[in-house]
Amino acid sequence: MLKYKFDWAVVLSGKYFDWLVSGVKVTIQLSAVSIALAFLLGLIIAVMRMSRVRPVRWFAHGYLEFFRNTPLLVQIFFWYFGSYKVLPEAANDWLVSTNFEFASAVIALTIYTSAFIAEDIRSGVLSIPKEQMEAARSSGFSYIRSMRYIILPQAVRITVPPLISQFLNLVKNSSLAMTIGVAELTYQARQVESYTFKGFEAFTAATAVYLAMSILITIVVTWYSKTILSPMKAR
Amino acid sequence: MIRFEGVHKFFGKLHVLNNVNLHVKKGEVVVVCGPSGSGKSTLIRTINQLEPINEGKLIVDGMDLSDPKVNINKLRAEVGFVFQQFNLYPHLTALKNITLAPIKIRGATKREAEEQAVALLTRVGLAEKKDAHPSQLSGGQQQRVAIARALAMKPKIMLFDEPTSALDPEMIGEVLDVMKDLAQSGMTMMVVTHEMGFAREVSHRVCFIDFGTILEEAEPAEFFKNPKHERLKQFLKQVLSPMH
Repeated sequence: MLKYKFDWAVVLSGKYFDWLVSGVKVTIQLSAVSIALAFLLGLIIAVMRMSRVRPVRWFAHGYLEFFRNTPLLVQIFFWYFGSYKVLPEAANDWLVSTNFEFASAVIALTIYTSAFIAEDIRSGVLSIPKEQMEAARSSGFSYIRSMRYIILPQAVRITVPPLISQFLNLVKNSSLAMTIGVAELTYQARQVESYTFKGFEAFTAATAVYLAMSILITIVVTWYSKTILSPMKAR
Repeated sequence: MIRFEGVHKFFGKLHVLNNVNLHVKKGEVVVVCGPSGSGKSTLIRTINQLEPINEGKLIVDGMDLSDPKVNINKLRAEVGFVFQQFNLYPHLTALKNITLAPIKIRGATKREAEEQAVALLTRVGLAEKKDAHPSQLSGGQQQRVAIARALAMKPKIMLFDEPTSALDPEMIGEVLDVMKDLAQSGMTMMVVTHEMGFAREVSHRVCFIDFGTILEEAEPAEFFKNPKHERLKQFLKQVLSPMH
């Protein structure tokens, strides 16, 4: 017989449930803000990576290689423990007075994920026939505006499946923010475990929430791309 | 409207345009023909600088394209370009393909642009297809939408780069009809095509180009009746012969 007594009520009601709920809220905030920013930044870096201006292209390339090839945890620690030391004092004070843990986590998740998103979008752009750019330029659109109105909308549609996996990675990676004290879901599950010793229940609950969020994102993005963005059938 | 003066263009070592001199006046329809690889597509693509020229002078609508200060986006807004492969934007409906540039570049309101687009679609016989995506249209229909898209910018010049070469034979007529109608409205046009019927019937002048040089330039009647250059005689024999 199993000696362990399951006690689901601990995590499904009362104070500890509230802790987990507040953790879910923070995880959602952290993920939503970071996904939005990472997507925008990814678009910009992707365009820079394809720029005809060499220094711009090199900068973007360096950015990609740097942030894709260093551990996310190190990046989170860098922004949290390292970055503010080189800022002027006024900025420093302001940062400490705001929610600096949350901000550091957003910055790290955004930058890290944007590097992957940029590469996915770039490969999407490269798969758009070059005649699309010619058609846009022929109408009088500048290079940047051609990208914005004609090329990127098509590239993003093609890039939806890899984008979904980047978004899911971001949600799961947001659990690393607990290491700098952001009270997100994993942090709260850990708290519940420390107070109750109900680790199985606490982390099962956390697992279920992450799984539900991931499935929800997949469904929503797929639905969005199929109904709002489409129909763009292959020519 | 368009003036080539001693224009040269190289692709690496390949001399694609060799001392081209050509003048297209306002309201004129000029057809350019020649064997494949002769440089005719390159020639027409230099006019809106899809291909920059290497030497010589090219003046379009009073703007000197060899001047690095020329605002190329502004020039391109005045020059409509129709591609062999249509190149409609596949993520947008026919209507939005047409309204995008007028709204974003000319600053038209959505309503103005849509009214104009519907009028243009009616003109090319596709009013009922305004909400269709390019993938739902036949080649001929796509090309007519592409012509409407170019016209929506109210261009001063229309360029056609083999507009019917990618079409099934039964769709060529519908596109040529639109072009003919456009020519009769007084549009300045330059057309690269193998459609000799169009050249004979609609154009004011026909140019024959080979090895990047304009070998012959004449009014259609003269061009087809009395070709002077040996290469042109051969070429005409091939394209006009019903049994080739």
